[in-house]
Amino acid sequence: MSATALPAARTRRTELPSGIIAGGGLIVLLGLWEAAVHLWHLPGYILPDPAAVWRALWSGIAVSPASPLGWYRPLWGTFRNAALGFFIGSAVGLAAGSAMAESRTVERLLMPYAFALQCLPKVAIAPLIVIWFGFGDGSKIAIAALLALFPVMINSFTGLRAVEPERIDLMRALSASRIETYRLVKLPNAAPYIFAGLDMAVVYALLGTIVAEFLGAQEGMGVVITQAESVTDVAGVFAALIILGALGMALHGLVRALERRVVHWADRGKH
Amino acid sequence: MSATLSPARSAPGPSPDAAPLIRMAGVGKTYHAAGGATVRALDGVDLDIADGAFVSVVGPSGCGKSTLLRMLAGLDRCEEGSLRLGGRDVRGPSGEVGVVFQAANLLPWMTVRENIRLPLRVGGRHAPAEARIDALLEVTGLADFGARYPYELSGGMQQRAGICRALVRDPRILLMDEPFGALDALTRERMNAELQRIWQTSGKTVLLITHSISEAIFLADQVVVMSPRPGRVLRVLEVPIPRPRSFDSIVSHPAYAGLAREIRALLTEPGDAP
Ligand SMILES: Nc1ncnc2c1ncn2[C@@H]1O[C@H](COP(=O)(O)OP(=O)(O)OP(=O)(O)O)[C@@H](O)[C@H]1O
Ligand SMILES: [Mg+2]
Repeated sequence: MSATALPAARTRRTELPSGIIAGGGLIVLLGLWEAAVHLWHLPGYILPDPAAVWRALWSGIAVSPASPLGWYRPLWGTFRNAALGFFIGSAVGLAAGSAMAESRTVERLLMPYAFALQCLPKVAIAPLIVIWFGFGDGSKIAIAALLALFPVMINSFTGLRAVEPERIDLMRALSASRIETYRLVKLPNAAPYIFAGLDMAVVYALLGTIVAEFLGAQEGMGVVITQAESVTDVAGVFAALIILGALGMALHGLVRALERRVVHWADRGKH
Repeated sequence: MSATLSPARSAPGPSPDAAPLIRMAGVGKTYHAAGGATVRALDGVDLDIADGAFVSVVGPSGCGKSTLLRMLAGLDRCEEGSLRLGGRDVRGPSGEVGVVFQAANLLPWMTVRENIRLPLRVGGRHAPAEARIDALLEVTGLADFGARYPYELSGGMQQRAGICRALVRDPRILLMDEPFGALDALTRERMNAELQRIWQTSGKTVLLITHSISEAIFLADQVVVMSPRPGRVLRVLEVPIPRPRSFDSIVSHPAYAGLAREIRALLTEPGDAP
């Protein structure tokens, strides 16, 4: 924004930057929170005041990265498993979505199951997966992958099928092979859809990892939450949730940044 | 700098004694709609196109012009009558044919140069032809835009890139389905003039579908007028106007007004009163 406002600009409604609006909202929220705690004399094991949550948050930040008391080790464990699950699930999802889009037979074979599984709340399968994969990293990765798989599969299927017939005609007129058409036209064409799927998948992978950690794990943010909860350290639970929220937003931002780089032509491609 | 695309031709126009490059005989097409309804799109189309000729096709909307072009391009099968290209039946897409699509149809995730290179990357092995791409970009005035993306180009520039792409394999035949329909009148005239120049220097055989009578006459050696659906060839009109033509000179040519009137009369012929 320029400091010297032009006469014409004065008549326009001034818009506050979104950062100031969000920051103001946060201050109001914290104020209400603080007021509620004192007004109703809420005990710390129901709703801790913001200062207590901040202390819990800071105590985990201001330690050496290797300390078992800090956020770093559980956060890394959760991140690593969620990321691995995300990559595996996305890769399988893209492969399955591609196979379904390219072959009517595969589509008829897989679609009913895909649809049935899509309707099933998949975290309900988590206990079963813990039985199969144990309490180690395997079950965390498997559940994260399972949750990441579906949005990527459905979205890549939809995107690969959504290609304009004129573009297929172009490739046919050039005697392009199926692989060439897939690689040069269908896949780039589906990229915006696939990224929308990846965006969901990254959050689901994190969700799956936390659920698996609730069911039993040595280390991870899910373990931190259950341990804090077992000693009614509600401030600690809040702090862990803030950390998880930040991780989720960071992963989401990463996918979006990648999308902007890869699909820079979208929305501007049509004249 | 003058970039030559192919052996330049001194005297454009069909050579009268040569066998036709494209020969359609009794070509028909019936579409079967989902509900069992049928649409007779083409009916007994006979047309010969000489090697090196520029032929325009005009006809009422829905008379099967695009259908005919798709069959020539090998995109739709010709199941009725015979469709021969260089003495051989058309069985599918061939490298002899380049297609310019209605809405440039560039791939938005590729730069202009990558779009033009696309035909060389697919459908078997092709010799790399960067110099040829450079020449095409030069001829069409896109030399500075090779690294740009289609959305950074105007509609006319996109269409020129589409023409470059159709020419990059150096096909003998160029098929164009209303390539300039979406352009404003001035850009369209400029594109027509460019197309004439490209055709004159490259020696290609061009089949152009258009709704513009002036465009059809300006560019063509022959104008093919088709009947309403089911499409048949009503008349093939020779355009006896010497080249190179310009829009200024062509409208004052004695043959122009008569040709335009005749085409318009043929197009509005049977009981078409509003
Ligand atoms: N895939 C299809 N299935 C069914 N009918 C079709 C199909 N393609 C075209 N037709 C029909 O065939 C007829 C000819 O279509 P075509 O697109 O060839 O016309 P056209 O002469 O190119 O028209 P326009 O000048 O409007 O582009 C039309 O009546 C159309 O409805
Ligand atoms: Mg058409």
